[in-house]
Amino acid sequence: MSSDPAPSVNPFEFNACEETIHEIYHFLDGELTEEKRRVIETHLSQCQPCDSVKRFEVELRQVVADRCREEVPKDLRERIARLINHELDNASSADGAGPRREGNASAH
Amino acid sequence: MADQSRFGEEAMVYADSLYAYALRMTRNPPDAEDLLQETFLKGFRSYASFTEGTNLRAWLFRIMTNSYINLYRTRQRRPDEIGVDDIERLALFRELGSPSAEDSALEHFTDIEVKMALESLPEQNRNAVLLADVEGFSYKEIAEITEVPIGTVMSRLSRGRAALERALADFVKHRVENGASA
Ligand SMILES: [Zn+2]
Repeated sequence: MSSDPAPSVNPFEFNACEETIHEIYHFLDGELTEEKRRVIETHLSQCQPCDSVKRFEVELRQVVADRCREEVPKDLRERIARLINHELDNASSADGAGPRREGNASAH
Repeated sequence: MADQSRFGEEAMVYADSLYAYALRMTRNPPDAEDLLQETFLKGFRSYASFTEGTNLRAWLFRIMTNSYINLYRTRQRRPDEIGVDDIERLALFRELGSPSAEDSALEHFTDIEVKMALESLPEQNRNAVLLADVEGFSYKEIAEITEVPIGTVMSRLSRGRAALERALADFVKHRVENGASA
């Protein structure tokens, strides 16, 4: 294969698309070797159908992550902070350092 | 060796994302609350074995994953992993076509639909997808958190993502079948 930009009737184009789609998750995950990454990136810059798959998958991940945000209920956060403080007290009295007063683990 | 008195402050930063992971795994708030609490207690108790300066977030996710398996796994009687590699990939892309800048079909998915789609995945595939796509962990980190080889992470992830697209595509199909124009 020459290093010229692929013409639209390039017989290797089909394989290049297959390979790009096959590797698209690894590409987006940033888990390809530098050499492989560059091959896929070059193909994406020249192939509209593959590039639209890439853009779709990027957006899908964003939407999935956005829809899954949660916030710990305030009372649970406080309960956990209290439990940890209690554990700390126990740990320090076991050390012979005497019980400790509350106010150590923070509940933001 | 990490200082136990600093654990609460250091770990609490990750409480929201740990809680989100717990909710998706247990599928119900009371169990997720117990799991979060258990994770913090276990983390506190073993914090001395944590090497400061290494990845606390991944360490906590690993504790939570193990706690989940110990507390809840035995209750479940469904297959925990997709075993074949021939599930259709990019099902949602095929259903929705390519996104246009003006109108993104993906934006129409509600929180509940995305959560239901994730929760419908077999456990191992779901956990891999959550850790990668929601939490942004690398393959290596996911391998450490779930205690399996990287190759296993990669196959769970690609099957899980394919199944997630399939599940989301089914929501779109139902909408069309029900003639929902809104
Ligand atoms: Zn292509």
